[in-house]
Amino acid sequence: MLRHLFKLIWNKKGTHSLLIVEIWASFMVLFGVLSLIVYNVSNYVQPIGFQYEQVWNLDLAHNQDTIQEAEKIQRVLQRVRSYKEVESASRMSGNTPFSANQSSGGITYNKVEVHGDFYASDAELSKVLDLPLISGRWYRDEDMIAKFVPIVINSKMQEKLFLNETALNKVIKMDDNRYFKVVGVVDRFKAKGEFMSDEPLVFEMIGKDNKWNSNILIKTRPGTDAEFEAKMVKDIATMLPGWGIEVSYLKDSRLTRHNITLVPVMIFLIVSGFLLTNVALGLFGILNLNIARRKGEIGLRRAMGATEGKVTNQFLGEIWVLATFSMILGLIFAVQFPLMNVFDLASSVYVMAIILAIVIIYLIVTLCAWFPSKQAARIHPAVALHEE
Amino acid sequence: MIKLQNVEKVYRTSSIETLALNNINLDVKKKEFISIMGPSGCGKSTLLNIMGLLDAPSKGQIEIDGSKVENYNDKDLAHLRNQKLGFIFQSFHLINDLSVIDNVEIPLLYRSSTAKQRRDLAQEALEKVGLSNRMKHFPKQLSGGQKQRVAIARAIVGKPEIILADEPTGNLDSVMGNEILGILQKLNEDGATIVMVTHDDAMAKKTHRLVRLFDGTQVM
Repeated sequence: MLRHLFKLIWNKKGTHSLLIVEIWASFMVLFGVLSLIVYNVSNYVQPIGFQYEQVWNLDLAHNQDTIQEAEKIQRVLQRVRSYKEVESASRMSGNTPFSANQSSGGITYNKVEVHGDFYASDAELSKVLDLPLISGRWYRDEDMIAKFVPIVINSKMQEKLFLNETALNKVIKMDDNRYFKVVGVVDRFKAKGEFMSDEPLVFEMIGKDNKWNSNILIKTRPGTDAEFEAKMVKDIATMLPGWGIEVSYLKDSRLTRHNITLVPVMIFLIVSGFLLTNVALGLFGILNLNIARRKGEIGLRRAMGATEGKVTNQFLGEIWVLATFSMILGLIFAVQFPLMNVFDLASSVYVMAIILAIVIIYLIVTLCAWFPSKQAARIHPAVALHEE
Repeated sequence: MIKLQNVEKVYRTSSIETLALNNINLDVKKKEFISIMGPSGCGKSTLLNIMGLLDAPSKGQIEIDGSKVENYNDKDLAHLRNQKLGFIFQSFHLINDLSVIDNVEIPLLYRSSTAKQRRDLAQEALEKVGLSNRMKHFPKQLSGGQKQRVAIARAIVGKPEIILADEPTGNLDSVMGNEILGILQKLNEDGATIVMVTHDDAMAKKTHRLVRLFDGTQVM
């Protein structure tokens, strides 16, 4: 029967070409949207790697002040740490969690070069963000007097840069003057939020004399409110006249970051939903018309021994064959993405998106074909034969 | 082979009730070739549809080769049509998107058979109607007579015992019509029971028995 259906559809390929193109286009759009969704969902289910609930970001801008900026930032840091509402505080580079800032570069070890994100912080960051280490330790103030700049990397960087070796105590040449020494490895740090993929990264220790990294992450005690924020900002403004002082909550920044990720996904979803609805309505209309045109054939098949169920299956089978033709065409394009490693995404993302797109297309065509097919089966054979 | 007892068929709409067949009693014997005649609208096709289990009577009983079909469900009726009955229609009812041989294979799709068995049986049926050289053609490439011969091949491919022909020569000229009748006579000689609806007296005279209908009633 399947062979018969293939033959029937193949002989009518001209009539069905528009429908094939329509299903093909839907498959491609669905594949694109699903790749995006699968990518984001697979990232979302992986832990973010740090705590942000009670953490504030104090962003200091020295504006026109060019005198002793590093000392001034250090004094503010000491003041912040002295509040009873503050559990811990750490200086950090501008690419604080959930911010839009990014700092990246490549590092090389034994001719293996890995590109990753760079974060600069002092020794307190792991306490502020509750960053668990899987091996080694976080850098300490006394590490700064050592020959090499202490760094902490994540397990992704360890895996890519050192392959099967442990990263601890390995020295990496950064440039002519600077060498890094790995003192610890954290599991993951998805600074851009849950939807970020787990990428290789490096935490680099900064000294007290560093004037460029002027963000302070503050972990407050539970119950700390805006009243304390106002008091703290007022104190700092007194200490740093003319400086820009801005406080943001990481949990709010996280939601903003989520929106930035989710809005394009939602737009794609709406567009593809609209397209799929059109395809579904088109299919429904075409099938209804087809059945009206093929009443004689339905009557004939019933006369030749087809049951109602077989007529239903035939019409469903025809649409499945059409969908299969269209998706084979679509697959030729879709498989290029994992094969050519487009957008540097894992092959599993594309494979999952392809499988889901196939299931959804079959589901849509089945739903659209079900009612007209049942209608076709219910046509009385004598009436159908008489009407042609 | 086909037995109809007190068969009545009434078509009802919300306002009108039409008696299409009234108290029909007919016994078609095995290997008999009968023709049904009557003016347009007298119920000939309705009677043939009821005999072919394509329509159910409002009253009365039908027996096909000893099986009483009144309690048969859709699956049983479809099975009986597939195994015992072959249909030939005035307008051929060929599927234009399928080749001649694929059209002939259709009844075999609804029984268990392999692709090779279907192909062999279809070739054999086409040889019987003299169209083995047109197997790969499509219906649009055939003349009316050739189309009807394909329809006959399709009707006999499953080797049914009964052939029901609804005005098989109605769309053909007299030469083609005689040719088709000749094929039907040959099938009858080979053992098929044939019931043919016709408007043509000359054709009817060539069959074993004539049944005349008038306003849904059997008049002879």
